[in-house]
Amino acid sequence: MPFDAMSEVPDDALLVLYANGDAAAARALTTRLTPKVLGHAYRLLGDRAEAEDVAQEAMLRLWRIAAEWRQGEAKVTTWLYRVVANLCTDRLRKRRSVDLDSVPEPEDPAMGAEQGLQHVARAEALQAALDSLPERQRQAVVLRHIEGLGNPEIAEIMDISPRAVESLTARGKRALAEALAGRREELGYQDD
Amino acid sequence: MTDKQQDSDGLDAFFDAARNTAPAPDAAFMARILDDALSVQAEAVAPPSPVTKREGLFSQILRGIGGWPALTGLAAATVAGVWIGVNPPAAVSDQLASLIGTSSATTDATDSDWLLDPLTEYDIAMTGG
Repeated sequence: MPFDAMSEVPDDALLVLYANGDAAAARALTTRLTPKVLGHAYRLLGDRAEAEDVAQEAMLRLWRIAAEWRQGEAKVTTWLYRVVANLCTDRLRKRRSVDLDSVPEPEDPAMGAEQGLQHVARAEALQAALDSLPERQRQAVVLRHIEGLGNPEIAEIMDISPRAVESLTARGKRALAEALAGRREELGYQDD
Repeated sequence: MTDKQQDSDGLDAFFDAARNTAPAPDAAFMARILDDALSVQAEAVAPPSPVTKREGLFSQILRGIGGWPALTGLAAATVAGVWIGVNPPAAVSDQLASLIGTSSATTDATDSDWLLDPLTEYDIAMTGG
């Protein structure tokens, strides 16, 4: 199947094609899933190099499990977010203290220079605040408010109830709001 | 996604900024991921294992007589036998004549005679009683 024709194919169907030796499916899955996996790992870890390691490992696990994947049972992204979270947890346990200086500058997509800088500054401030949250709160907030997932899917990823997700995101957001309260003016929040 | 109307804690601008500045994978990283994908795929989709296909009757016979070399030998022998039957050399005819009790002179006929008149003296004697 040509690569272009795969844009409409669901992730799990692509995974079956991949397991059957389809190289175009490998390319399509890589292009589609790697940015999500890397982005999520980065937001949980706050470190680009470590996020790349985690993303590569998570994708490697996906490739290895492809042959056993049962279509229609779970979303591929749900499974990946869970693997990323577990890998990040392992890494965070190894380094208890987070060095904020190590947080790299996020990449700036095409936008006005001033607006771009403001976005970068806000994203950096948010990342620093996220890094200070307890791990589960950070994961829930990132999944809900940055990845844009619904509570039932987050509950599945985190293996908790939707009510527990609500509680974690609420507490996480309160802590973020407190951490960022003093920086709103500095970060141009008043302009919005 | 976040809802602007519910942004009582003022975090939406930060979440928007985070989404807009998502760390994008560079080409080298994407190539690494794809390399992993293709190498795992190559290992998994290994050359097909020898399938124990049910052997056909011809294959069984062929294997029984020793394969294709034996079959070519057998074919050559068969063709030679047919040829000797159709156009027997003089030595064979003489041997045959002595075996069945006719004189060798009867077999001195030319090949064309033999072909034109397949009824030999022996046959006439036999039919004549």
